[in-house]
Amino acid sequence: MFTTGSKLFIGATTLAVVGALIFGITQSDSKLGTIGLVSAAIALVFLMGINFWVRDSNVSPTDTAALTTAPASHEAPPRSMWPMVAALGVALIPVGLVVGRAITWMAVIVILVATVEWMVQSWSERASADSAYNASIRKRIMHPLELPVLGALGLGLIIFSFSRIMLRLPAAAGAIAFGAVASIVLLFGSLLAAKRTVGRSVVGTLCTIGAVGIIGFGVTSAIAGGREIVKHEIPSFAEGTCGTEHGEADHNASRAIALKSNLAATIVLQNGTLHADVIGVIGAKTTITLGRSTNSYIRFVNLDDDKHRLVADLGVDEVNINGTATKVPQQSCTQAVGKDGAQFLVLRPTRPSFSSTTPFTLSVPGVDSTITIEVP
Amino acid sequence: MTTNQTRHRRWALPLAGFGALVVLSGCAKDAPQDTWQPAGDNARKIDNLQQPVFMIAGLVLVIVAAVVGYCVFKFRDKGQAIPQQSHGKPALEIALTIIPALILVGIGIPTVNTLFKLAKTSDTQCVVNVTGQQWWWEYDYPVQDGCGGISAPIVTSGQLVIPAGQKVLLRISSRDVIHSYWIPKLNGKRDAVPGRVQTLRLQADQPGIYAGQCTEFCGLSHAYMRMEAVSLDAAGFKSWVENQLAPYEAPAAGSTASQGEALFVSQCSRCHQVNGILGADGTPVISRPDKYVYSGAVPNLTNLMTRTTFAGAAYDLMTQDCKTALWNTPSAQFSAKYLEGVSPECLDTVQLRQWLRNAPAKKPMYADPAKLVETGGKYRGMPNLGLTEDQIDKLISYLTERK
Ligand code: HEC
Ligand SMILES: [Cu+2]
Repeated sequence: MFTTGSKLFIGATTLAVVGALIFGITQSDSKLGTIGLVSAAIALVFLMGINFWVRDSNVSPTDTAALTTAPASHEAPPRSMWPMVAALGVALIPVGLVVGRAITWMAVIVILVATVEWMVQSWSERASADSAYNASIRKRIMHPLELPVLGALGLGLIIFSFSRIMLRLPAAAGAIAFGAVASIVLLFGSLLAAKRTVGRSVVGTLCTIGAVGIIGFGVTSAIAGGREIVKHEIPSFAEGTCGTEHGEADHNASRAIALKSNLAATIVLQNGTLHADVIGVIGAKTTITLGRSTNSYIRFVNLDDDKHRLVADLGVDEVNINGTATKVPQQSCTQAVGKDGAQFLVLRPTRPSFSSTTPFTLSVPGVDSTITIEVP
Repeated sequence: MTTNQTRHRRWALPLAGFGALVVLSGCAKDAPQDTWQPAGDNARKIDNLQQPVFMIAGLVLVIVAAVVGYCVFKFRDKGQAIPQQSHGKPALEIALTIIPALILVGIGIPTVNTLFKLAKTSDTQCVVNVTGQQWWWEYDYPVQDGCGGISAPIVTSGQLVIPAGQKVLLRISSRDVIHSYWIPKLNGKRDAVPGRVQTLRLQADQPGIYAGQCTEFCGLSHAYMRMEAVSLDAAGFKSWVENQLAPYEAPAAGSTASQGEALFVSQCSRCHQVNGILGADGTPVISRPDKYVYSGAVPNLTNLMTRTTFAGAAYDLMTQDCKTALWNTPSAQFSAKYLEGVSPECLDTVQLRQWLRNAPAKKPMYADPAKLVETGGKYRGMPNLGLTEDQIDKLISYLTERK
């Protein structure tokens, strides 16, 4: 009645249950062991059931049909890694949920890849009785997909490692190191070309060593982090005018076509003096007139050597701050730009210039020249 | 003949008559907004282009209509057998492709040429900023050596004053929605787009007045958003500039106008600027339209009476007779006549009173305080201020001194 296999599992189950009882009674303050042993008992009962159900996969000597149909009579299919990969993917999902979204996405990709590979493999294994032929049709379908993807991944890994190594090495050492690497590659290539008899395995081994070396260095560099990159800070030209300035000037601002095509004025700093260019306006190089309650785009062009910024001063305005009318200077600045650089300033005066005791101006800190702004 | 056909016939004559009338109305001799009557260099360039183009187009229309008509009549169904069918006639097809292509090239070259001429800005002699907002145009004159010299900014509304014979460059923009500036006798249209400055050349050969209206639908009172271009001779323009920049003259103490001034400060000055006006404490009163009006701008009333219209040039400050007389003044006398401004004999305050009594009733505007959610409480237009007749009298006597 009971098969040999199921008897083994019955025994083991009994052992686990007895163990659990003893453990539970003697070590009453630790529940973990009991839980483990009970779990083992459940798993063992399950295995016992399977063994019982398939009757140990044995074929009865009287069952002649089973000689061809029973699993044992088939040639065993080749080992497959896809169930394991899929399991890894599934296991990664909870990890990803805890650690980060990137891992979850990786897990999903792993599961998808494993599913597809697994499906194609098991389909190919049922194609015929000839396992060599089966393997060949699997390759015919999957290689056009696998090889480019694996190639790209491998290449990406090498490039990424390269970049990490470069960022890790000091700037000067990087140049030397990569000069050396390039020379070695060149030397190796020339040797190969000269001596055609070098075996495949030698080339393969050398390439592998090279790749492992690069990836290894890359990984260690990535973990160690990049070298410190010096940031060029531009000091403020007029502390207090518009606050301290950090970072590099936004040179892209000068390329904004929308701004350029709607200029109210171009303010040029040349040889230490400012002058204004307004389309159509004759004369008036030191006065510009801007509309009230409308945006005016001002372009500042620096033709002098030092870095400069344009500062707009639109007097003082009363602004409601937390319920009290507070007088706030209406100042705005461009970033500092070097020679031939350009920056934009958007002004929207809300009061006429005659309302202010001081004139509205455009000026450059450190330069003794101003443009007067008139607002009607 | 079926009854249906009879009914069609009955409608045909009146319809054709009406159509003819509509077409004929385009021939009005003294229409104020007529592109076919150019009064300046730029409008003439357009005219010189569109006359031959319309001629060619007309010729093509006549030829095509004649051939179609001939075919329809000649080959009408008389019960004859269907003629032999042929397929294609390469020579004819090629010819019928090449001829229109040649016509288009012939039209295209002068068109592109004119476009470039109309876009030129390098020969400008005078610059005026034109800003549209719901529903009036503001003109401001930047400080410049052009326009005969302008030493301080000037701002006005409704009527654009330019020196005759000079190449004026308008820098057109908008403070709210898209409007379009068009004085048909002086040049084509140019859209006024918020955040953009577009240029338009304007030149009037002779002193005179030229009408136009906003040609881009811009909301409730689009139809009331008119404008007039006034061109003055050099001397006239110079004195107009001087008058615009003249210092403020407060009304005589104790006069009705003086009471009006005080009322103006308390009721109107938060929106309207009068340059030089002083408050009770002797400090200049500065308007803040940006706080009350959606567009952020309101007409400057410093020299209201130097213009003959108000509220988007939609209403008159002078009687109809005086207006007709002004519009018909020969160009030699026009500048002097316009600079007189609204004389006491011509003054007509009826419309202005109605405006002060209830502006949104005169010109549809979004000025109901209960419905300003969309604009965060800001008006689009002038609200009804609930003034008494006595207050209106005082304000009118103050305003009529603003010249
Ligand atoms: C909430 C702001 C506001 C207030 C307050 C206000 N107005 Fe206006 N007013 C306007 C706006 C906006 C217009 C332009 C309306 C239009 O033309 O579409 C205007 C137009 C006018 C015009 C026509 C000006 C021109 O050149 O076209 C006159 C005159 C005028 N207002 C007089 C007054 C007087 C007098 C008072 C005070 C009793 C007053 N307004 C108060 C907003 C205001
Ligand atoms: Cu409009």
